[in-house]
Amino acid sequence: MNKVKPIIMKRIYLTIFILLSGVLALSAQSLTQLEGSFKTGPAIILIATLVTFVLVGIFFRAKDPADYYAAGRSISKVGSGMAIASNWMSAASVLGMAGMMYGFGYNGLAYVVGWTGGYVLLLILMAAQIRKYGKYTAPDFIGDRYYSRDLRIVSAIFTILISFAYCVGQFGGIGLMFKWILGLNYTWSVIIGSSVVLLYTLISGMIGATKNMQIQYVIIVVSFLLPVFILAFKFDYFWLVPQIGYGAAVTDIVQGIPAPNISGGAALLNAYGHDLAIVPSPEFAMPWDPSSGTTFFQWMAICFSLMVGTAGLPHVIQRFYVVPKVTDARWSVVWGLFFICLVYWTAPSYAAFGKLLSSNHEVGMLAKDAIVVYTAQLGGVNSLVVGLLAAGAISAAFSTVSGLLVAGASAFSHDLYVKVINPSSTPKQQLNIARMGTVLMAVLVTVVALMKLGLIAQLVSVAFSMAACTIFPLFLLGIWWSGSNRAGAKAGLFAGILVTTISLTYFIVGLSGGSLPGQAFISYWLNVWYFAWLGAPLAIVVNIIVSKLTTPTPLEIKKFLAEQVHN
Amino acid sequence: MEPTDQYNFSIFTPRNLHGRKNRNVIFTMLLIWAVAVFGFQFLLRAIEKPTPEKTLGIFETEWPYVLAGSEANADYSSFLNTLIHVKGKHIVKPADQKLLSEAISNVIFGILPDSVSPLIAGQIKEREALEASLVQLKGQQFVDTRMLIRDKNYQLTSLLEPYSGYGANSLEGPILASSLKSEFPASFSDENYVRLPDLMKLYLTHNQSVLTDTKFLGFPFHYFYTAVFLLILFVGLCIVYNLLIEWRLKKQGVVE
Repeated sequence: MNKVKPIIMKRIYLTIFILLSGVLALSAQSLTQLEGSFKTGPAIILIATLVTFVLVGIFFRAKDPADYYAAGRSISKVGSGMAIASNWMSAASVLGMAGMMYGFGYNGLAYVVGWTGGYVLLLILMAAQIRKYGKYTAPDFIGDRYYSRDLRIVSAIFTILISFAYCVGQFGGIGLMFKWILGLNYTWSVIIGSSVVLLYTLISGMIGATKNMQIQYVIIVVSFLLPVFILAFKFDYFWLVPQIGYGAAVTDIVQGIPAPNISGGAALLNAYGHDLAIVPSPEFAMPWDPSSGTTFFQWMAICFSLMVGTAGLPHVIQRFYVVPKVTDARWSVVWGLFFICLVYWTAPSYAAFGKLLSSNHEVGMLAKDAIVVYTAQLGGVNSLVVGLLAAGAISAAFSTVSGLLVAGASAFSHDLYVKVINPSSTPKQQLNIARMGTVLMAVLVTVVALMKLGLIAQLVSVAFSMAACTIFPLFLLGIWWSGSNRAGAKAGLFAGILVTTISLTYFIVGLSGGSLPGQAFISYWLNVWYFAWLGAPLAIVVNIIVSKLTTPTPLEIKKFLAEQVHN
Repeated sequence: MEPTDQYNFSIFTPRNLHGRKNRNVIFTMLLIWAVAVFGFQFLLRAIEKPTPEKTLGIFETEWPYVLAGSEANADYSSFLNTLIHVKGKHIVKPADQKLLSEAISNVIFGILPDSVSPLIAGQIKEREALEASLVQLKGQQFVDTRMLIRDKNYQLTSLLEPYSGYGANSLEGPILASSLKSEFPASFSDENYVRLPDLMKLYLTHNQSVLTDTKFLGFPFHYFYTAVFLLILFVGLCIVYNLLIEWRLKKQGVVE
């Protein structure tokens, strides 16, 4: 028996060695083309990653509704921080953000700042208080705090819509990466990717998803950071901390690099053999450059909308219900933000290196949403590492989608079905409804993702603006002002929904080639990517005014807020 | 019956000392956060000036002579360089790229001897035919055609080097070769070129200030501040807030 075990182990090692050798040999062919071919090494890495997710999902599967919604409140603060980061870092963070900076220069940084600065608001104004309030979902809180069944229903519907809008961008990112790895067309890539993420979310629920999110975070960070170290080393920038080292690359882009670019006696070339040379391009780094078609107002509006939206996203808020203690809720935000920043410090470096590596006219402007992978590929990084990067991007999209599907399904089953439609339902019925809701949402998201309505980061920012106009004001005032009452909440929510509806209507009409009165004016000032700059403050002001003019909040709500939420 | 105002609460009017201290911490944090994020961008906006690249100055000096067709006064080589430097930017819109290509072609054919022009024109037409065929090609045929186009551009660069001064190993040579067109308005007084000065101004003018021109750790300072420092500040603010709150809770013996 003792002799058999080493023999089996040797065979396993040998098999792994042969497989790896094969993968390396096959993957060497994959570097010559940016698109269009099946890439063996990256495909194997992707499949292995997905199988791991499903297995982890099965191993940590949900056994009852409490597990499904809130992971049994058994997750540590570091673990929860990792899950927050993984849940947060979507295809928009890993793929879209670098794409925005690659395409729009300094204006892309509004996304970096907006998506991190919102966590300060979340921590200071919400995290601990939400945990103290002790509800499972955002509509749960709103329905309870504003003692209103109607508000519960409307907020549940908006939770679903926000999760839906957020998912659309993610499915687009999944489609792009599957397209790159498998050489499939975009449609099939989206369909396959959405099927896999749906499968394991259904099997696992949030407890599996939370465990998966921790694994996914590690994959995302390692896969995202590794190529940047390689690129910085290879192209003679300060590689020990490439998050600082790429600064010299930004300056090089601004000032231009003449050809040939020689370093240490050897020419610096991209994977196609082009010099790492570029004409002076200050538009890459200068603020709101006229040639980028972006303005100061847009920078501020995007940044504000994303920050406020961050503090109003149901699937983010929901994460604070899964930590055991109030202090854990606070520290999980810090850990989450730190883990997020590791990736956000790195994302602009992909835009800078991508700009340099694609500067040759033969390469030209590349697809913005795939620039992260293209940069690694053009930089001549080993294709297995590029494959890992693509798998990391898919992990990012998967982890977010799973959280969103759970949040959407929770709103559907817990807040609509259990609390409104069938309060006497059994736990088994609740779980089945949650799963049905997940399937329905995934199918609808897939259909919309196939329409390619915008860049990933832009699509996701719609969800942020919606959350900022609807959920955020209700939480902010609900927690911090006992005077905010049901009538005020309804009026504020109506104002937020009105701004959202106007912006979305003009966007859809514009997209279909039509025009409404004031089309250009609304498309600029209430653009669908950042309408919350007006909608969120308006909803807050309306809420306050109407609350002041109507029947005060019931005593028991005030008492609960004063004694339980604010000690 | 309990009085209803006993439990009235807002962030501006806390109910006790703990609440007031907590409010002060929250407002201080929010103020730092807001000034650091939005205050800096307002500052950037307030002190910026539209600053032209050197290339724009050269273009504006040469343009009147080029427009007048004054061969004695115009430095076509410098003028060509300005056009190439804008054409080489990624951000240029397709319609503007077309105009720049036409202007570059116009300059090049103006400086080429008559004996060479037909040869260059022939090469350009061959390349354009290859480019037109790309739309229908897939797989290896597509890759092969791309390689043929690349070879054509190298040949063009070599043929043009004696006249343009840009070799195949230069940054400008390949941009020049790939920009050339067989058909273009032959005079700069043609109405197509009317918007050329505005186009050059758009792509060669940038919002700059002492904050964008100062270097810090290799970065333009404003870029470092926004892309790196603000994120450090956010994490720092969160840590300080948590430590402050926990210290205060411990001091006051509050158990959450």
